This record gives sequence, C-alpha cells and structure tokens, in this order.
Amino acid sequence: MGTVFGLALDALNYTSVLLLVCIGLVIIFGLMQVINLAHGEFFLLGAYTVLVAQGVGVPFWLAVPMAFVAVGLVGLLCDAAILRFIYDRPVDTILATWGLSLAIRQAIVIVFGAQSQQVIAPLTEPVEFFGVSYSSYRLVVMLIAVLVALAVFLVLYRTSIGLAARAAMANRQMAQCLGINMRRLDRTTFSVGAGLAGLSGAVMAPLMSVDPQMGMGFVLPAFLSILVGGVGSPVGAIWGSVVIGGSTTLVSAWWTPVVAQIVVFLLAIVTIRFLPSGLSGLRQK
Amino acid sequence: MLEIKGVRSGYARGADVLKGIDLKVAPGERLAIMGRNGMGKTLLAKTIMGLVKPSAGEIRLEGEPIAGMPAHRISNLGVAYVPQGREIFGDFTILENLRMGVIGKPNLGLEGLEKIYDWFPILRERQTQRAGTMSGGQMQQLAIARALIGRPKLLLLDEPSEGIQPNIVHEIAEKLSTISATEGLTVIVIEQNFEMVEILAERVAFLENGRITGESPTARLIAEPELITQNMGL
Repeated sequence: MGTVFGLALDALNYTSVLLLVCIGLVIIFGLMQVINLAHGEFFLLGAYTVLVAQGVGVPFWLAVPMAFVAVGLVGLLCDAAILRFIYDRPVDTILATWGLSLAIRQAIVIVFGAQSQQVIAPLTEPVEFFGVSYSSYRLVVMLIAVLVALAVFLVLYRTSIGLAARAAMANRQMAQCLGINMRRLDRTTFSVGAGLAGLSGAVMAPLMSVDPQMGMGFVLPAFLSILVGGVGSPVGAIWGSVVIGGSTTLVSAWWTPVVAQIVVFLLAIVTIRFLPSGLSGLRQK
Repeated sequence: MLEIKGVRSGYARGADVLKGIDLKVAPGERLAIMGRNGMGKTLLAKTIMGLVKPSAGEIRLEGEPIAGMPAHRISNLGVAYVPQGREIFGDFTILENLRMGVIGKPNLGLEGLEKIYDWFPILRERQTQRAGTMSGGQMQQLAIARALIGRPKLLLLDEPSEGIQPNIVHEIAEKLSTISATEGLTVIVIEQNFEMVEILAERVAFLENGRITGESPTARLIAEPELITQNMGL
C-alpha cells in the first residue's frame, strides 16, 4: 500500500512539473502557431539562474521568481530579435527556435562547462504520511506547480486578457479586427511562456543534475503531452500531462525507463491515430 | 467619412485584384457594394479593414490616412467589421463574444450592453449559451451586435445575408437601417442579395473586375431592376 502511495506521489510530481512546462508551450503554440524547440533551453536557463543565484548567496526561494523573470526577459529578447520577423512562416519558426536552442545550450557549455552541477535543495527532511517517507521538497514542487498552473488558468479563463488570448487562439484575424494588438499579445505570451519554462527548470534544479542537456528530458515528453492532450488547448495540456506523466512514472517503476519510453510513444501514437485533436477533441465529439 | 482613391490591392504581390478603386462614403450614409463572385468585394472590405495591405492608393477615414495601418488600430479608429461567415467565437458564450467587442477598445466597457440587448433581445435570453450552438440568423445577429457594442463610426458588413432565411434577412436589414438612422452610423454592406440591399442601402456601387463600374441610388434600382443585371454583368 505504501509503495503504491509513493508511486502515486512520484507520478503526481512528474505530472505537475510536466504540466508547468506544457502550459508555456501550449499557449505559445496556440496563440502564435510557433512550435518552440527552444523551450527545453528556457527550462535549462531557469535551472542555471538558480545555480548562479545560489552561488552568490541569494536564497533559493528568491532565486525561483528571479528565474521566472530572467528567462521571461530572455524570451522577450528572442521575440524582439528573431521571432517577430518570421511569425507568418511556421517552418522558419521551427528552424529558428531549433537554432536558438543550440545557441543557448552551447553558450551554457562555454560559460559553465559541460559537467553536471548541483543546486542545493532548500528542504531536505523527508516527511512521513500514510506510512510513506517522502521528500518534502518534492511535495513543495507539486504545490508550486499546481498553484502556478491554477494561476495561469485563472488568468486565461477569468480575466479580460485571458479572454483576448483565447480569442486570438481561436481566430487570430478576427481578434485583430476587434481591436486586439496582436504584436503586444504575442510578445507577452512568448515571454510568459518562456518564463514558465524557466520557473519549471528552477524548481526542478535541486532534483536533477544541472547540466546543458537537462532541458531535453522534459521538452520531449512535454511535446508528447500536448499532442495527446490536444494541440493549442490549455485544458488539453492537463489531460496530456496526466497521461504522459502518469504512464511514464508507473511503467518505469514496474518495468524499466526504456520500456516506459516505448509504451508512452505507443500510447501517444494510438491516441493521435484515433483522436487527431487529442483528448480535448473528445469534448467536441 | 470614408474616401478611397486609386486603391490597388491583391492577395499576392504583383497580382492586384482591385485595380484602382475610387469611392466616397458620406457620414451616416448606407452604401451597398454589389458584384459577382470573384470581383474583389471581400478583398475591398479586408483592404479597408487593414487585413490586406494595398499596393497603391489612399484610404482616408474622416481625413486620416488608414491604408496599411494594422487592423487593431483601424478598429480603434472606429471601423467595425462583420466578415463573411460571421466568425463568431463558437466556444465562447454569447456574453463573452459581446465582451470581445469592447475588449480591445480603450476606455470602453459593457455600458452599451442594455442597448444591444434591446436591439437583439434573443442575445439577452441566451447570454450564457455557447455561441456555436446558435442558428445562422442568431449568429449573424451576434456578429453584428459584437461589432456595434464597440461604438463604431463605420460598420463594414460582408455578405450578411449569406445562409440566412429570407424573413431573418429582412428583419436584420430593417434593424440595421433603423440603428444607422438613429445612431448616425455609416454602413458599407457587401451583398449579392438585393432583398437586403433594397431595405438597408441608400446607394449601390457596382464592382466589376476590380473597379467600380457604376453607381446608382437604390430607389432607382428598385424602379428599374434591369439596371442590376446590366451593372453586374449578368
């Protein structure tokens, strides 16, 4: 019983962080139709922001919002310098963000080296409940992920800017005709999306070895989650994260991580084959 | 109100469909633009709205040049667009669709909502319903209401009668005609359906092969219907 509960907590932990990464990706794609291949590197930048901040004595809990802001600013810069010129050329945005991902990763290697580094977790004591000893920091990560996801959904579904963003996701041209400044909305979305990836990297940094490849491990399952949940659907991101995050953790625990990858890919292929609009497409049926 | 001089425009560079449009619309006037399919009527509406950049010519709204301006700025200057196919937000409620009409307008809230509901009572009854579940006529009313709630000076309608029952077409035309008269709203309606034009418009301009080839008061076209077929090249 204790093992099952521990496993459920692990699945919940992975799912919640995956959701954080997915939300940024899904709002960027939904609004701007940009498949952001640099999202994993924004995750990476978040982790390194915390590493640097901790190195100069900034407390961890201050470094996390700093990572959100810093990576959000990097996103803003990328939008202003590169993406704004190619929004209407989807294939070029894929190539540009891929190039951007390579540049960021190599810049990290040049500045910090290729070796793994460690961020010290702010909480190290495990907590006991329902007969299971579980990392208190992992529980805090879950709480942060759920709160941030909730805040993003509140903005999207309960505010005027969220309504404007959802309208732009549904019909960009009509939203423009109704007076919405798409340039400003694109800029904000890309920056917030990047900031959310940075935040995910920052909170995950103490649980992973911080190295230039760490973003890859999250961005691929995040893309799969979006495909399974429904491309461009913020609510679909939840379903996708639950399916991909949950199945990866469970299959890894029962078999091996390699089998888990095969199962998850098969699951994604089968879902897309029968539900081309992902799980959120079920609502329209 | 609106002055168009020598406007050339097309969907692809170097392939202009509009080949020099000249048109003047007076404040409060209701003008219909008629023409066969493929003559450039929708392109003209999109060019006025800023969705397609003209390759040449001038468009002035109350004297201010707007050619090539982004659509959101043209909208904020007082041009509202009801496109062909209505393009309401099907997943949003009716009230959310109406909120979209003011969301991009600085200093404008939902204070005009009661007036909109008085004009289109069906929207009040169904304000929490998903817009995608409405009938074609109701969707058209919502699209027009969403445009009107932003208090435009110029309303640009593209084929508003398309796919709507004749009695609803009649009702919408009468309502728009009344609203235009009471609010001093200038209306440009792109139409092929003369039933709507005869109720709504005071003047008709004919668009043929990318040029305005003729103009006539609507009353004259009602008296001499053969002029419509002549002018539309039928």
